[in-house]
Amino acid sequence: MTNVTLAANTGWLILALFSAIWIALGAYLGRRAVGLEGYMLAGRKVGLALGTATAMATWVTSNTTMAAPQLALQMGVWGMLGYSLGSVGLILFAPLAKRIHALMPAGYTSGDFIRLRYGKTTWRVFLVISLFYGLGWLVSMGMAGGVLVNALTGIDYRIGMSVILAVCVIYTVLGGLRAVIGTDFLQTLIILVGVVILAWLAISEVGFERMHASLLEQRPELLNLLMPAAIMFLFNNLLFGVGEIFHSNVWWSRAFAFRKGVGFRAYLTAGLLWLPIPVVAGFVALTVPSLGINVPSADMVGPLIAAKLLGTGGAILVFIVVFAALASSLDSLLAATSDLILTDIYKGHLRPQATDEELARAARWVVLGLGVVAWLLCLPRLTTLAELLYFTGAFVASTIWPIAAGLYWRKVNPTGATLAMLAGTVIGLSAYFLIGFYVAALVSAAVSMAILLISTWLRPADFNWDTLSNHREKQA
Amino acid sequence: MTISVTALALLVGSATVITAIAPILLIIFWIRDWLKKRLW
Repeated sequence: MTNVTLAANTGWLILALFSAIWIALGAYLGRRAVGLEGYMLAGRKVGLALGTATAMATWVTSNTTMAAPQLALQMGVWGMLGYSLGSVGLILFAPLAKRIHALMPAGYTSGDFIRLRYGKTTWRVFLVISLFYGLGWLVSMGMAGGVLVNALTGIDYRIGMSVILAVCVIYTVLGGLRAVIGTDFLQTLIILVGVVILAWLAISEVGFERMHASLLEQRPELLNLLMPAAIMFLFNNLLFGVGEIFHSNVWWSRAFAFRKGVGFRAYLTAGLLWLPIPVVAGFVALTVPSLGINVPSADMVGPLIAAKLLGTGGAILVFIVVFAALASSLDSLLAATSDLILTDIYKGHLRPQATDEELARAARWVVLGLGVVAWLLCLPRLTTLAELLYFTGAFVASTIWPIAAGLYWRKVNPTGATLAMLAGTVIGLSAYFLIGFYVAALVSAAVSMAILLISTWLRPADFNWDTLSNHREKQA
Repeated sequence: MTISVTALALLVGSATVITAIAPILLIIFWIRDWLKKRLW
């Protein structure tokens, strides 16, 4: 049987080397993160190269590199295509990023927009959804780090998880969004080169003819273009991705941080370049029948194939790619979620009189505190917690229409937006339990849209867009 | 309905080529931004 586990010493060496690189780079870039805007939004002058790379890197999670092959193995061609439709969220966010920058040139978070556009009640409902999702994603990434380090190197779950989380917390504390975006660029290059090497090896070693013939003989369902479960997955994944991106401060903070004119091009380019990644990372799983690999656990199919094709080198390659993918998502989540806590909870609810200087000092403590909370939640290795993320489909999809319509349609009213989010979430969750995970996001988005349209038709508002640009973002 | 070997090769081949081009494109963007002093 193919052994995917590196010697623990090799694992430690790679972990130490890349940890040192990310921390040194984060500290170096963080030297110029001056003031609140410098720390939270990288000075609002991020260019196209770094903007595109950070959007790509953040959206390529360890899930993309590990779950894409798993989905290909379970759902075949549609599994990897369905995953790649996650890029639709990035592409659709491109015009929104442009609009956000134009409407709120001095904005800080997605919470700012909801509060100013819809008022405090909608804002609080939105914060619950957004923080629940942000923390859930953060914890699941932290757990994934520990699980993957353990599976790939044999290093204890708690130690691996702690090291990965600590490294991301340290460089995010040191450099804020500048450190996150700067490291994202290198991490994107590593991920892209890694998945291409593996794909190229799979193509040259196995070839499409042999791969196709073996699949037809042993797993013909994987080549079936009419697999119903996979098609359901495709639509649900599309809406889930759109909901995740539209509401999450991870993407809003970047829209605020990008230089004028960059947001649209960066998100569009990132979406188009991200589109093929799940196919490239995923199709290698289709070589399983040809290579005669025994797959005891579907989620380890990627490392198994890498080890089969490249030996120890393959295991090292996968480990480096997975570490880069984990770090690029964890740092973004730490930064964006702590921004929400700092701006919308600390300043918004606890200390409205806080100055920018005070917030800039508090920002580092919030990142550190969030890191500690995430670490404590990751410690017990509650694998069921990862399943919580499936629930979030209903939560995040309910925000799609209140956000998209709220950005373009002045008639949408606050009550409609609040009800759309609440009812979308509740009915989406009911669909999750009564029907299945694959309809939660779909039902939630549909209910949310219907309520928003009906409420707008019954009680049209007349929102003044200047409210968004004239507010105090720099009051302190 | 089964995907043909040609369609599979086209799908995976084009996806791999685009992904291989992506880092080159990002480096070109980086150099251009750096020359224009628009990196940050």
